[in-house]
Amino acid sequence: MIAPPPAIHPPLLTSRSAAALLDGRGDLELVRETRGAPVDWGGVMASCVRLTGPWRLDLRSGDSETSLPATTISAGLSDGLFVSRHRWGGFEIEQRVAPVDDVPGVVRSLRCTRSSGVAALTVTSRFVPYLLPVLVEGIRPHLFRLETRDETLRVQQRTFGLEYRSRPLPELLFVNRGSWIGGRYRGRVEEIGAQYTLRVDPSTPAELAIVLQGGLDRALDSRAAAAAAVLADPDAAARRVVTADRRWTDATPTFRCPDAPALERAYVAAREGLRRLYSAPGDDLTGLVAGYPWYAAIWGRDLAWMLWAVLWLGDYDWAARSIDSLLRFQARSALPVLGGEAGELPMQVAPGPIFLYGTSDTTLYFPLLMAGWSAHAGAPVPSAWIESVRAMIAWGEARTDPSTGLLRNGGEAEEIEAATAALARVRYGIDAPDTTIWDSADRRAHAVDIQVHWWRALRAAAGLVGDDRSGSAERWRSTADRLAATLGREYAWPAEGYLYDSLRDGRPIPQVRPNALRAVSAGLLPAALARSVVARAAADDLTTPWGVRTLSAKDPAYDPQAYHAGQVWTIATAWAADAAFAIGDAERGLRYLLTIAERYGDEGGSANECYRGDRPEPFDSCFLLGFSVAPFLTVLFERLWGLSVNAGAGVLTVRPAFPTSWGSAALDNLRVGDGSVGLDWSPERLRVRWLGPRPLTVRTADEVATLPSGQSADLPLRPTT
Amino acid sequence: MSSRHAGALFALLRQGLTLGVDYGTHSLEALLAVAETVEENVYAIDSFRRTGEGIEFALDNPPLRVGAFGAIRLAVDGTFVPPERVRWRAGEGREWRTADSVGPATPLWWAPGDRTEFAVLGTFGVDGRPSTVRLELRSTAIPPLVWFEFTETLEEKAPPP
Repeated sequence: MIAPPPAIHPPLLTSRSAAALLDGRGDLELVRETRGAPVDWGGVMASCVRLTGPWRLDLRSGDSETSLPATTISAGLSDGLFVSRHRWGGFEIEQRVAPVDDVPGVVRSLRCTRSSGVAALTVTSRFVPYLLPVLVEGIRPHLFRLETRDETLRVQQRTFGLEYRSRPLPELLFVNRGSWIGGRYRGRVEEIGAQYTLRVDPSTPAELAIVLQGGLDRALDSRAAAAAAVLADPDAAARRVVTADRRWTDATPTFRCPDAPALERAYVAAREGLRRLYSAPGDDLTGLVAGYPWYAAIWGRDLAWMLWAVLWLGDYDWAARSIDSLLRFQARSALPVLGGEAGELPMQVAPGPIFLYGTSDTTLYFPLLMAGWSAHAGAPVPSAWIESVRAMIAWGEARTDPSTGLLRNGGEAEEIEAATAALARVRYGIDAPDTTIWDSADRRAHAVDIQVHWWRALRAAAGLVGDDRSGSAERWRSTADRLAATLGREYAWPAEGYLYDSLRDGRPIPQVRPNALRAVSAGLLPAALARSVVARAAADDLTTPWGVRTLSAKDPAYDPQAYHAGQVWTIATAWAADAAFAIGDAERGLRYLLTIAERYGDEGGSANECYRGDRPEPFDSCFLLGFSVAPFLTVLFERLWGLSVNAGAGVLTVRPAFPTSWGSAALDNLRVGDGSVGLDWSPERLRVRWLGPRPLTVRTADEVATLPSGQSADLPLRPTT
Repeated sequence: MSSRHAGALFALLRQGLTLGVDYGTHSLEALLAVAETVEENVYAIDSFRRTGEGIEFALDNPPLRVGAFGAIRLAVDGTFVPPERVRWRAGEGREWRTADSVGPATPLWWAPGDRTEFAVLGTFGVDGRPSTVRLELRSTAIPPLVWFEFTETLEEKAPPP
């Protein structure tokens, strides 16, 4: 068996609507171990559609031929662009690759020079067309329509399309390596090529620029002028993306902790990683894609985890638009063919719009998230959101046993299969009976974390709706109370000092998974049990030096390379940190955070989705996943800094949980409502600076102070022992 | 058409109309495009044929999931074929392997767009009715079974020229 290629840390280039995937050697190639085998993810993604597979440039001069990567003398990111320099046959070539937003796509340009003599350089650009939403990970279409039109090449696959535009125009086109005179072609296409001959002399550099953009075919016509403008000045289009990124970063908090520089660097890396996932792919959708390379669509569950961090970073507008985007697809009635039930929020959304349902947890995150948005922004929750919340809770109530309050998870995929079984000529499926966050594991019928999400959703919804004549809020609080009682009664696992992972047919499922830690974070457990759960999770069958496993290594079902039955997930490590801080074990919480920070450092800014359970090696892992950066950021703000905010009331609570060995820490430019706060901590005092339209009340464990705008105050802190 | 099939079609029609009304016809069109692409780009149309030794067919893509598969099972009309009688190769001219040679340490690697030809030894579809072929794959990375089925009438393979 040939070993998969080693894990690499690819330079990820994204705009809000496109991504260039490349390995840094010179072409848009990116072979990654994927579900155990090598798969090339290189190419261009735009509008959540994989436009191309690998996109390569070949060079020819006289009788000599080579590939662009074979001539690379240096390569790397420079000012948000991928820049590579090449030397071959007396030619000096500088390549620039950048995603743009003026049109959803990527610009690729070459600037060729020679120090002496005139020579012709033939460049052949070849790419594999895909044209299918990224969410369909395993399929490459084979049949395409090609058309040359208005100095562009159009490629269409049903409702998806791309446009290839270059300056100069190609002198030759190829389909499947055979010459094509242009016009229209319909049939099997494995590769498309375009050839250019550049005359290079010492006094005049030769330039080639290519824009490859697309997504939905119907949008291409309206973008023709914008695409032409990008081609006329590719660097300007690329710079606009870089400028927007800088502006965003400048608006987010800065974090300084001289006693743990690795944590400070990790904050910067995680924030940058989150920004790379920002997505406005078209069709009026806003959100963050779940990850790269194979989860580059807006997933409702992942979005919910990410938006908490987005709120702490102060981007309320993006959070609100993201929530609005998802709510547009809240199922208004049952849609079994898409796995949807009335009130349910979608699992995935992409331009088309294309959307699918069928998870047991996505819907549950949003009532609390909406309340969080209101608390951060200091604005009331829009009335449309309130109506959506009612539908969400009705969805949950339909899956709930009224006597216990337990919400049922599982069976979603089977429902889709049953709805479509008699309809298709070919049938296919994955026998996943359950769709919790570990959606390849069977955790039916009442997974513990689902119950925690449900409990939180009920309470948040009651708070959002308020006590009215309908009595809904009272009913929801009552269900939440029953659920909390059931959790305490039925899930406690005395032999392990832990919580059972689920209940099925009235029997507990005795598996040690990190999901139980969510009950600790929610404050649902008595103090002694909460401490025991955190301590049990820290044992080495669940916690490794590189993070927390999805299943105990002692479990008979443990497999170190099984996605949700043994692999280490960074989000689970963040849960462990959160729970440790929640019980006051700050030293342990910080160790978990530093474990994550170490991974970011080792991965050169990437944040892998998951690792093998038996060694710190990414396996079957997106190299950047929102799950791996956002919860880390949230724990940093909420637990390490001990921040909670109620901007509407003008209150910020700060209860830092820094180690006793630390001498200082600072957080600047933290947005609270319409204002900005700066925090400068030392063991003796917290200095607070406030700029905002109205006074801010700051609470610490010992003090309360109200600051007018533009004022600073020192709040004394009681020494910790 | 069976009543079950008709019922399913009406249910689909209702859901399609709901989608069109609630989310727009573009959405319906795009969802259909994805479904059709998946349906038409896995099983290679007209590749299901009778050979001298049994049957053959080809897939133009992995069925949904990519990656390494540590176990393969194949059933024809509900009966699983012994693994040593199920052969596959990664396209014409490549080496044949049998399903019993596939294991977690010697998996089948399957990437998007990879064409894979299957040859199954035995006697199938003798009554002229359509046969159902079911392929079951076990990923080495994600445990749940991946399965794929198609129902086709066997074509007699044209003799070599």
